[in-house]
Amino acid sequence: MERLERRLGFLSALPIMALLTLSFVMPLLVVAGFAIMPQKVFSLAHLPDFSSFRVIIEQGYYRSLLRSLGLAFLTTTILFVICWPLAYGMAKVFGRFTLVITLAVVMLLFVSENVRLFGWNLTLMKGGLLEGHMRAWLGTGFESPLYGWPVIVFGMVYVYLPFMLFPLAQGISLVPDDARLAAADLGAGRWRILFQIEMPLAAPGIMVGCLLTFVLSAGAIAEAKLLGGRSVVVLTDDVESAFTFGQNWPLGSALSLMLIVIVALLVLVPISRIDLDTLMGRKR
Amino acid sequence: MVTRRQFAAGAAAFVGLSALGAPRRLLAGRTDRLNILCWEGYNSDQVLNPFRELHPDATVRAESGTSDPEMINRLRAGELAVWDLINVNQPWARGEMARDKLIRPLNKDRFLPYFAKMTPEFAKPYPMSFSDSGDLLGMPQRYGPFSFVVNTDKISIETAETEGWDLFSDPGLNKRYGLLTYDNWNVIHLCLAAGVDPFKPVEGADAQKFADKAKQIVAGARLMTDDLVAMNTALINGEIDCYFTGGSYTASPARYDGASFVRAITPRGGGFGGKGGASWVELTSAVNNPDPSDLAEDFLEFVQKPEIAQLVAFSEGTYNPVAQMGNPEVLARFDADMLDAIQYDTLEEDMSRCHEFDAVPSYDALLATYVAARRG
Repeated sequence: MERLERRLGFLSALPIMALLTLSFVMPLLVVAGFAIMPQKVFSLAHLPDFSSFRVIIEQGYYRSLLRSLGLAFLTTTILFVICWPLAYGMAKVFGRFTLVITLAVVMLLFVSENVRLFGWNLTLMKGGLLEGHMRAWLGTGFESPLYGWPVIVFGMVYVYLPFMLFPLAQGISLVPDDARLAAADLGAGRWRILFQIEMPLAAPGIMVGCLLTFVLSAGAIAEAKLLGGRSVVVLTDDVESAFTFGQNWPLGSALSLMLIVIVALLVLVPISRIDLDTLMGRKR
Repeated sequence: MVTRRQFAAGAAAFVGLSALGAPRRLLAGRTDRLNILCWEGYNSDQVLNPFRELHPDATVRAESGTSDPEMINRLRAGELAVWDLINVNQPWARGEMARDKLIRPLNKDRFLPYFAKMTPEFAKPYPMSFSDSGDLLGMPQRYGPFSFVVNTDKISIETAETEGWDLFSDPGLNKRYGLLTYDNWNVIHLCLAAGVDPFKPVEGADAQKFADKAKQIVAGARLMTDDLVAMNTALINGEIDCYFTGGSYTASPARYDGASFVRAITPRGGGFGGKGGASWVELTSAVNNPDPSDLAEDFLEFVQKPEIAQLVAFSEGTYNPVAQMGNPEVLARFDADMLDAIQYDTLEEDMSRCHEFDAVPSYDALLATYVAARRG
């Protein structure tokens, strides 16, 4: 009976599984197909020559890749440090006030990312909200922090904060208070409890938060454009350039594929070690 | 109430009809529909509504693109059957779209007479509107000089025009200028700044000159962006004194807003062949739609009318001269502020210092060099 139910369940799920596979995998296959086509062709009806990968190596596109990954790593680290205390408070301390914080953070997501970043641009620019007021009130201004890599990291930290905060809060909520109290009773210090009790038990949430923010940051482009003034060319910028002004779809596809594969490798290993059911509280 | 069986039957019928292309045919009578892919302006209601009133049974839709290649990519990616008109800058019509059969020739008998009423640059008629075999590929309307833009409170017009592209080699301007990253224009302007002719193959020593200039310009830029509003804002608030790649197209919104110190400059010399500037001209072409709309050419004729030509020049976004200003009836529709915004006082002189540009034969190699310089 159970076997029959399982089989019926599988058969019922088959159409939607096929649709999802098609809609998710097909674009990736098209990108992979174009990646191996000769330079500057616009259809897949050509013999593959893998020349885009030669171009990537010869023209030093790896620099943009390293920049993208480096900025993503830095963003993820900063977000983890910033979000841990806040997530801890939301999960264990704030009580009803957690809802207020949740709503405040979620409301950020209601406004388009570009609009929010342009708002920061107007705030941080020379003569903008901050420097303009300071100059008017104190008679002295400061150099705009725009158009450098630190402001790009700031932008990504600001934009991707919810994606670290909520999984982290979910992860921390999995840490039983009894375990922490028991450790304290047995003489463990605050740091030891953090590193040996709380962080290992909250690991699924940490992992999901870090993966989400890392993947999103690695593929980010708006922060580098709007706040960074393109002072740092990230890989997604190169992808856009190849597809548009370069009119070189195979090169753009090969660059995309490179980013997809590297990020997938970086993500698949840790994700294979977490149990989402545990994180969602369905299994103990 | 719809039963599951009825829903499944309906869905299956819809999928089947989609596969046969039936909905498209049912929805699209080709005299009843016009889709325009264009730069901002043609998509504004002030331009489209009068045409809609003339064709009340037609669905007239226009969508603005963010760059020429992005719009052309949409045609390549399967939207050839969607669009009826495309409006991009002149090199793309001859260089890419006609070659790849993305556009089709216009009716010469119908449109050639309109050239006679245009400004002298276009009345000959305008050579870039035609393919090598003489087909009419597109109709010109908005145009303008496109070299660089300065804050005249910081750099005088005289200095900027005299020094031309050398201005950006001045150590005093290091990290005091922006680079507007319209890549295809950057390639042309970098060639002009390096004294190289971009419209011939660029090889050997010339390619090296280009590479050196690209590195120098990129390294000295305070900011790089493809957003003209951000660039004008930086110019107005004193972040930068000028920006590389720009013209009346990018300066006009700031000027019309009262910042008349933002001024497009066309160099008096430099470049090659005695001309240091470059100019753009938008061509509106008929897309090679397998099921073409009769309204496409009607619309092209419609925008030649004086009142509509003026609306196209001063629609939302940016403000630009139009070729139809050669007709006194069109010119009379512009007031003094409008003419000042588009720098009409020096337009003819500026255009005379500009190269009439064609496709760039070494574009791929030059773009790769430039993008590599930006990557560092």
